[in-house]
Amino acid sequence: MGAMKAVSVITVSLLLLANAFALALASNGFVALAAAAAVLPYVLIATLALGVIALVTILAARTPAGGNRAAATPALPVAAPTKAPQADAEIVGFLATLQAKGRLVDFAMGDINAYNDAQVGAAARVVHAGIKSVLDEHFRIRPVQDGAEQSAVQVPANYPADEYRLLGKISGQPPFSGTLVHHGWKTDVVKLPTILRGSTDRLPVIAPAEVELK
Amino acid sequence: MTRRFSLGIDLGTSNSAIAVCDLDSDQTRIVEVAQIVGQTQIGEGPTLASALYLPHPAEFPGGLAMPWAEAGDTAIIGQFARDHGALVPDRLITSAKSWLSNPHIDPRQPLLPWQSDLKDGKLSPFECSRRYLQHLKQAFLYSEGRQGRAWDLSEGQIVLTVPASFDEVARSLTAEAAKAAGLGDVTLLEEPQAAFYAWTAQTGKTWHHLVAPGDVIFVCDVGGGTADFSLIAVTDVEGRVELERISVGEHILLGGDNMDLALAYTVRAKLDAEGKTLDSWQFLALRHAVSKAKITLFEDNALTEAPIAIPARGSSLFASTISTSLDRATLEQVVLDGFFAKTSLDDLPIDARRGGLQEFGLPYASDPVVSKHIARFHARSLQNVKASEKLAALVGWGAATRTLMPTAVLFNGGVFKAAAIRARVLDLLASWNGGQPIRELQGFAPDLAVARGAAIYGRHRATGQGMRIKAGAARSYYIGLETSMPAIPGYRPPVKALCVVPQGMQEGTDLLIEGREFGLVTGRPADFRFFSSSVRSGDVPGQVLPDAERALEETSLLEIEIPALDDFPAGQVVPVRIDAVVTELGTLELWMQHVNSNRRWKVEFQVRTE
Repeated sequence: MGAMKAVSVITVSLLLLANAFALALASNGFVALAAAAAVLPYVLIATLALGVIALVTILAARTPAGGNRAAATPALPVAAPTKAPQADAEIVGFLATLQAKGRLVDFAMGDINAYNDAQVGAAARVVHAGIKSVLDEHFRIRPVQDGAEQSAVQVPANYPADEYRLLGKISGQPPFSGTLVHHGWKTDVVKLPTILRGSTDRLPVIAPAEVELK
Repeated sequence: MTRRFSLGIDLGTSNSAIAVCDLDSDQTRIVEVAQIVGQTQIGEGPTLASALYLPHPAEFPGGLAMPWAEAGDTAIIGQFARDHGALVPDRLITSAKSWLSNPHIDPRQPLLPWQSDLKDGKLSPFECSRRYLQHLKQAFLYSEGRQGRAWDLSEGQIVLTVPASFDEVARSLTAEAAKAAGLGDVTLLEEPQAAFYAWTAQTGKTWHHLVAPGDVIFVCDVGGGTADFSLIAVTDVEGRVELERISVGEHILLGGDNMDLALAYTVRAKLDAEGKTLDSWQFLALRHAVSKAKITLFEDNALTEAPIAIPARGSSLFASTISTSLDRATLEQVVLDGFFAKTSLDDLPIDARRGGLQEFGLPYASDPVVSKHIARFHARSLQNVKASEKLAALVGWGAATRTLMPTAVLFNGGVFKAAAIRARVLDLLASWNGGQPIRELQGFAPDLAVARGAAIYGRHRATGQGMRIKAGAARSYYIGLETSMPAIPGYRPPVKALCVVPQGMQEGTDLLIEGREFGLVTGRPADFRFFSSSVRSGDVPGQVLPDAERALEETSLLEIEIPALDDFPAGQVVPVRIDAVVTELGTLELWMQHVNSNRRWKVEFQVRTE
């Protein structure tokens, strides 16, 4: 099933590329007209062929054993997005929160070289206070490994591979003994706001322009 | 009817919260409230900011609507309303609850935002309360529904908390707003009592080992904008521990927001002296920043100061951020010595109601010293206890004892998250108690205790199990009687007062005032002045006080009109008696009962406007 999913993803990616190519050719105007006229049939044929492969893949994915519909759905070739994907909108929404509470975008986009450390430090306090409140509100962040950094720790056998990164000389069998360099961070709670979106296909703004009326 | 759950609603002046108790599993939890949190975001928070923003039609053309919003309803409630409205004050409504109990206005008139230039679309304090309650109700159903729990409100015991200091008019308006919000008939509970129920539940079965007969518990609740006090006596009735609420405080508009504002003014003065001026937006940022700095310093005693950085409004963060700090000495001087000064027991708040050109608005406490308000509450409680033999006996007050000191304190409200402030109040009480310390009942999550306690009280009511504080009417109520005497120029005869509801009158009881009949003329409206007192526990129904204006507070106007009927033609005088009812839900009703039949007419409370 995983392989099939991968195939459908690759197929659709190719399809999108081909469509983009066709679109680019069409919109390049008359300068490329001669070339386009020559290439276009092949592109269209390629598109059609890829569409067929996609369809077959999707049909194959819908095996009688219940069929993982959720996994197969994104592969629908005709589902050209009508507006910016919700996932992107949510990420921009979160960036908007970081900007609203912690001025993160102002901080990163400002020219840091023109200012001395005291000025940067003052700005950093604004960012720190705001970002911390956002992290506290939306996540529950804790160290992966308890204990002070630079102290001796033991990495247990069957440790979750993503929770530990072994450095230095790795040999033998777990459990491993070593020195804690960074205690890591993890969260087990994510509580993000829902994005309110109108009918527009745009992404939400990160921060609106502010205009004061008298 | 079988109740499946109880719902506790804390409709706060600055923040509101809801808690639910599932009666099957007997679990009580806070329900997070969905609200608009940003220009394009809906999020959930443990509390709902009691703020309402009335947007301009061009502001959010797509609409910032909650999933349950009715078409055309553009008002925004919650965190974004407060944050955005702070910069557009003309369109922001806050503290609607305090307007509900303001005797100088009619809470049903569209007056909010107060002093706003808005031409139309203003709302009444009553309507704001209704909308907050409706939002809380919908958010509860929405959030629970999303987690697969469907509740039918008619199967719930719904408890709504009100300040202990609310009089009957504010209480009945709150209950009516709940009904209009689709919550049905709600039970009212005083907030300090709710805090106490939350404490008993949090302490578990051991709570009754922590208090004993003879204890007098002072519930000291200082929230964002208001302070609310109560005394609860612990007694022994035939071997059973019973609790009785014996005194409630006055409505005091003084709280944590005043403290943050005082700190912000202090820091701004320091910046002014350094030649750094703040615009109004930066001042708002400063208020937030000093509030955080205050928490930091109170939480960590090792710090001597907390840095504060105030950004400018533009996108340039490096060029224009102002840095300063809040030091511990300033914090202690402003908050501890300013608001919780170690004053003496006879140092009462200065009531500096300046005559003449005082700006008309919310009756904010004119004396910011909380200690003095506690002293005044103490003096009034003592007066109340001394007024009835029953209460005096209950707390063991005799000729030998001169003061009524609490033996334990339960803190509630965000202000008391700071251990230093709790310690200061305990110090203050000990200094009034001849140096003898007064113990603290350890509280829990002071922001959410009231909602939680309300849900727990609802559980006790619905199941008939668990401890209940004996409370009844917090005040006694009186009808004004015009004195008949010969007219004397320049002299206004005093208004006598007939006691119709004694303090402590229990829920679900009624009282017919015997021996005094009134003649009402049919087809013609009649008005009575209505008075109350929270310090006259000894007055009995039917008792007449010689001078209402001196001894009592005027609460509202009562209005009644008996329609002309077949056997009572227009203009006929109908003899009636007054029948007072305290409903099971905790609201007061007054009826005019015909002397010779079963017919009776309900008296409406009219708000007294000056």
